[in-house]
Amino acid sequence: MTNDDGFLQGENEPAASKVVIVGALVSSLIFMVIYSILYPGQDYPVLSDFETFGSLTGGIWFFILGAVFGIFSIIATMITEVTRE
Amino acid sequence: MSEILTTLAVFWLSALIFYVLVHRGLWIFSDVARTMGMFMLEKALGPGIDLVEGRSGSAARAWIMQSVLWMMIGALFTFEGMWLAHDPTALHSLSAWGYDPTAETLAATGKAVTAFGGITMALIGCGLHIIPKLLGTGLASERNGNLVSFLYSGGIFVTLIGSHDPVILGLKVLVIGTAIHVLAITAIVINQLLTLANRADSIPMPAWLILLGLMAESFNLIAAISTGAIDDGNGQWLMYRLQGSGFFFLSLAGIVLYASSVGSGNALWSRTLVGATLLGGLFTLNPFGANHGNLVADLFGLDAGELAMSTNDTVIVTFLMALASVPVIAFVANAMLTIRDSSSPGTAGMAEINLGLLAMIPVFVGSLFVQTDAVSGTNAISGLSWTIEEMSRWAVLVPLSLGSVLVLYPSITGRQLASQDRARTAFWLMGAAVLLGLMLSLTSSAIDMALLDAGVEDPSSLSHELSVAASVIFYFAVVAMILHCLNMVSGLFRGEIVGEDTEVSSSIEADTYNLASATSVSRILASGAGMDTMVVPVGESDEKGSATDL
Repeated sequence: MTNDDGFLQGENEPAASKVVIVGALVSSLIFMVIYSILYPGQDYPVLSDFETFGSLTGGIWFFILGAVFGIFSIIATMITEVTRE
Repeated sequence: MSEILTTLAVFWLSALIFYVLVHRGLWIFSDVARTMGMFMLEKALGPGIDLVEGRSGSAARAWIMQSVLWMMIGALFTFEGMWLAHDPTALHSLSAWGYDPTAETLAATGKAVTAFGGITMALIGCGLHIIPKLLGTGLASERNGNLVSFLYSGGIFVTLIGSHDPVILGLKVLVIGTAIHVLAITAIVINQLLTLANRADSIPMPAWLILLGLMAESFNLIAAISTGAIDDGNGQWLMYRLQGSGFFFLSLAGIVLYASSVGSGNALWSRTLVGATLLGGLFTLNPFGANHGNLVADLFGLDAGELAMSTNDTVIVTFLMALASVPVIAFVANAMLTIRDSSSPGTAGMAEINLGLLAMIPVFVGSLFVQTDAVSGTNAISGLSWTIEEMSRWAVLVPLSLGSVLVLYPSITGRQLASQDRARTAFWLMGAAVLLGLMLSLTSSAIDMALLDAGVEDPSSLSHELSVAASVIFYFAVVAMILHCLNMVSGLFRGEIVGEDTEVSSSIEADTYNLASATSVSRILASGAGMDTMVVPVGESDEKGSATDL
């Protein structure tokens, strides 16, 4: 699409899977920031009630979270590619 | 006659009978067997067979896609096993959910999932594509091949659970996983044999490698069960070796040699070396893998026997393992010379194949030391066995099988990978993980072993730091496999359709091609020539040149 000034409108869009992943990541960060401002020093609701997440110790969890992020990326890619028009 | 030799004799005899039957058929029973086979593969399954599609290539595609997913999960469990080896309580918080893994259970799970899930599915998937191509026919039943891939994956999932908890509600979980594995492999064997029966051409050597590799598991079971070798430690160790020499090595060699030719655009370098690989793979014992047969005992729900060989048996198996250097060197040399001067060196997967070939001989030598140390009962370097075993899996088998999958991906799926750059990034990550990470692990094990020999009880801080670094670096393999998965899944939907780019490039064709020396047709085509290009032989002269007269 063009106008008289020569402005050009592209047709490409980012992959839906990337939109989902970035959206989820940004939403999580916003939630954590706002929660820490509103309820400083308090545990997260529900999530911290689980013993597993209440006592995550050791660096391995950073790596496992990275792998979980990757696995969900694959699942998100499958779902969005299958449902893409 | 020793049990080892008897078992080997039955194994070799089974291979010989199979070879004769392929050429001579089943006499008057051939047609009946073919009809019965097709009935079992499709109609006998009732409406279940309609759950999957039967388009050409769909079976191979289902197997290779699931293979990469299992490789990723295998890498993750192997990483966790490496981490818990130096930090045993790292996953303690998961006990709140009833899951309390140890370094041993995680390492065993990683081993089983990578070998039986990732590598085996890649080999079978590529075989389902290659055998029909080489025989000039279609796969006997695409639908059955497709459906069985999900059954097989179910078996791997059961094995994954069984590796953590071998007995649930009184049931031996690993035995159930093995039963599903055998059922799925039987279906694949019947499918491939029916494909073989429909062949239009003679059987090329790489097809023999793949077929005998696939059949080797059956020969192994027949030999070990008929001689009773499956019940004791020596026989279990031998079964492990025969599975490595037979299924893994022969199948891998056939697939890699085919992929090397396809990916490089060059003809397979030597048929004689393929023959040496085939005969050597069958008649020797491959030393790759664990230095005991406990895995076999676990998979069949038996008590693990102790490895205690007589002097004669030790000499026999040591000789056969050393002799395995012949097929290994023949295979590596053939594949390397095939991919040399490739017309398309940037093809995804070729780098992985190169890495696996480069690592194969050093890892073979290391494995040979570890195995001879174990069978002789010396156990002086048994502390290195775990790392050497992981090297044979992650530096040799995974790169070679994954590389072949990536090379054949466009032919199998009809589309290119989503991103060549992502494939290249994943290769570098995996290369660093398996070479640097496992080398650090080997160094750490060597330090521990030396301290143990010297009677030092305090653990070494350097060894601990090296094992931490090794596990962190091995994590790159997990990331690499995630990238490969994403690349292959995206490629199925948005990868460039194979053939489109060929049409574009063919619009610029050279009218003539000057042929100065012997070359392959693929190189002439790669230089921009088309089917109508005139190939003009030009003479060469050794006369000294001089200035042109004006």
